[in-house]
Amino acid sequence: MLENVKDEIQGVLKKYPDKKSAVMDMLRIAQREASGHLTKEAMDEIAGLLGMPPVEVHAAAAFYTMCRINMPAGKHRVWVCRNLPCSLMGAEHIIKYLEKKLGIKTGETTHDLKFTLDTAECLGSCGTAPMMQVDDDYFENLTESKIDEILAAKGRES
Amino acid sequence: MTPVLHGISILTDSPTVVSARAGALEFLLANHALDCPVCDKAGECELQDMVHKYGPHKGRHTEKKFKFHEKDYALSPVIIKNSNRCVQCIKCARVCREVVGVNVLAAIGRGDHQEETSFFKTQLDCDHCGNCIEVCPVGCFMRLPYRYKARPWDLKGADTVCAYCATGCRMVMEHRDGTVLRARAQYGVGVNSETLCARGRFGFDYINSPERLTTPHVNRYGKLEAATWVEAFDYIKESLMGVSGDEFGGIVSPRYTNEEAYLFQKLVRDVFKSANVDSTSRWEASGVEAFAAAAGMNEGGVSVFDCMEADTVVVIGAQISDENPVTDYIIRRISAARKMNVIIVSPRAMKLDSSANLLLRVAPGAEGAVLNAVALSLVPDKTGGYAQTADIAKDMIDALVAKLKASASVAIIAGTEFLRHPESCAGLGFLKDSLKSSGKKVLILPALDRCNQRGVWEMGAHPGFGPGYAGVEKRGKGTHEMLEAAMDGGITSMYAAGVDIVSMFPDAQFAQKALMRLKFLIVQDTFMTETAKMAHVVLPGATFAEKEGFYTNQEGRAQIIRSLLPPPGKAKRDFDVIKAVGEIFDTGFGPKNPALALDEMRKTNPMYRDASLAFNNKRNVDNKLDIKAALVKAADAAPPSVKCAPAAIAPKDDKYQFALMTGNHLFHSGMLSKRSVSLTGLLNSAVVEICPEDAVFYGLKPGAKVIVKGAHYEAVMTLTVRPGSKRGVAFIAENYQDCPVNRFFKKGAGTPQVAIRPCS
Repeated sequence: MLENVKDEIQGVLKKYPDKKSAVMDMLRIAQREASGHLTKEAMDEIAGLLGMPPVEVHAAAAFYTMCRINMPAGKHRVWVCRNLPCSLMGAEHIIKYLEKKLGIKTGETTHDLKFTLDTAECLGSCGTAPMMQVDDDYFENLTESKIDEILAAKGRES
Repeated sequence: MTPVLHGISILTDSPTVVSARAGALEFLLANHALDCPVCDKAGECELQDMVHKYGPHKGRHTEKKFKFHEKDYALSPVIIKNSNRCVQCIKCARVCREVVGVNVLAAIGRGDHQEETSFFKTQLDCDHCGNCIEVCPVGCFMRLPYRYKARPWDLKGADTVCAYCATGCRMVMEHRDGTVLRARAQYGVGVNSETLCARGRFGFDYINSPERLTTPHVNRYGKLEAATWVEAFDYIKESLMGVSGDEFGGIVSPRYTNEEAYLFQKLVRDVFKSANVDSTSRWEASGVEAFAAAAGMNEGGVSVFDCMEADTVVVIGAQISDENPVTDYIIRRISAARKMNVIIVSPRAMKLDSSANLLLRVAPGAEGAVLNAVALSLVPDKTGGYAQTADIAKDMIDALVAKLKASASVAIIAGTEFLRHPESCAGLGFLKDSLKSSGKKVLILPALDRCNQRGVWEMGAHPGFGPGYAGVEKRGKGTHEMLEAAMDGGITSMYAAGVDIVSMFPDAQFAQKALMRLKFLIVQDTFMTETAKMAHVVLPGATFAEKEGFYTNQEGRAQIIRSLLPPPGKAKRDFDVIKAVGEIFDTGFGPKNPALALDEMRKTNPMYRDASLAFNNKRNVDNKLDIKAALVKAADAAPPSVKCAPAAIAPKDDKYQFALMTGNHLFHSGMLSKRSVSLTGLLNSAVVEICPEDAVFYGLKPGAKVIVKGAHYEAVMTLTVRPGSKRGVAFIAENYQDCPVNRFFKKGAGTPQVAIRPCS
């Protein structure tokens, strides 16, 4: 599965004195290569490449909200922060609104495969709570109308 | 963390502390299933005990409890899991990684959704040791064979010693209404503390087997038929009356207690006036003497924990991860915590390799040559260098020598390969002497694969020495010579107590032919073994859970075993059977019971004079678990020095690509474990193991059926690969009824060669 990105993997492996340290990079590459999620096979392959027990790769992946295991993701990934400051500022309402707007539950992907909705623990932007991350960008001080705009803009991107 | 300071006052039971505990427990119970009425652990659950003691007796959480799954799921044929009871202590994953070293469990996810499980909850391909079950404080990991069978308060237990390998793990065996249901280790008790291997934890169920012998059998008209003890003894009396000592031989099992072995050798020597007594169906008697002398077993016990305090530990000729799994755990655990060298010399890769900092892959039987080469390099002026060993690169030997030179103390763990290839023992003795002469402290720990092998030798069940390695007037015949003598009529009667010669002797056809020629064969055993089927009289004996006595483990640690149950049916304790056979010919034969046997033994055998049998149930305080008083002391005598001729080397035949090795499989021990339902569930039919490179080279597929062909025997079995093993070496364990590996062996022909090809 990781055949196509052999060179990139070699580069990643060179970065660390201990092969095992490359596990996060490898998970990122594997997820990118497989429509945004990690399969059992991919983790097995990573374990083989890094000389780790497969279950440790699984444990590393399962710890991080960026890693999505065995559930293909949509084109855009949305994480709503639900840690304490965001929750005080209405993160639960934001999550409910997004669920209603997208017609899915947290953790699911829309039927048009455009959006995947997830929650995250603190994303480090408490001063601008409530907030969410869409792909690699932060969107802060969220309101319902702001969310409508963001989703419309992202939806237009094809 | 609060550092401890002088004059600090620590309250452990103040109202604040107690309420904090209740608070922590309330959170642990937030998602806990609270299904104690159906949980195996209820009654001995740490969480239950804590909550019972500290509360809260009412929770304030109103949220719906999070559930991982509805139904328990099996992780292995012996391990089943209910994650809803988990308290996320991660002890299971840690014991798996840090002690057992297989690393198949991890904490998946985080927070209250964190689940300690296998890779995608798949069935584990691990050691199936169940240590995750033992350390689990709640009912999350459970024994599958024990589940729903009993509650802890229904069980009656006995503190005893495992009867598989010679590590000598202490464990509690528990039964309910006469059915043995569980074996468990105890934290801080015995060399093993709370660890056991798959054999110890799950392999006891042969005790309950319906195939157990419950009555004597007598062969009168060509067929074995159930008989009474009186008939059996009458038959023995009329058949053995007048048989001269030289025509009689006795072999006692290395799983018998010391008292039984002591009585047995007395029976053979004093009642039958025969010198022919041995305690194994596998090793040559002269090899045993060479090994005992080289390992210095007559110098007294050597604690494994003392070995682990050495600067360098060399594991050689021992498939320790498979044959002595708990010794493997001890080495892994301690070597990870201190700076030391672990050197492994072995043809096969093993789990312990990951703890080693030097690995030497050698050909089967080459251990002696390696040790010779190392010893010669330590004292180079003798011959000015070392003889080039067959296939070990000089730089590997040099690396080993450099590590030994830099160490002030060296421990050598020498295993059963030295008994299979006794010519290697000279190298072991040579290295010991040269290390000693260069001022180093040397400890040698024999790693043995039968629980009381060391004990029965020290009781004198050997043709070359009596109790405590004392010399004998006349050297008798060992198993090998007895069978040879049986072949040409020199021996006409034999008494095999607890040994299955046909299944274990390294040349099955020869053993069978020799036993056929006997006029009279008594077999005493717990099952109708292949050897028992050939007997004239079969006497039903008892398993280790049905007798009293003591074992001596590989370290020389004397440990008592306790009786849990009476033997089934008309079966008797082996001590009583041996005594009764002796009384047929000499009514004064004794000692009359194990306690008297122990007294007599203490008087006559200096090794056991002061060995403490007090059972120490102290908690583990210093990682040592070491009761020095239980170690046997030095003997007055030494085993006679023998020279073992180098084994015949079969001429290299291109037809055969592999040298065949044998030993015990991780899940089995001899043929006894084949009677355990749990263990045969883990592995039943024969497998042959080679290294993956060879599999690719010869176009063999792992998991596929292959034909293994030797010069005398061929069999179909499943191929497995073990990465890191030496090329050109095949391993078949000695535990398969469908493919008795001893049929590949030919007496005196050395390491057998085999060919492996795909099954078409």
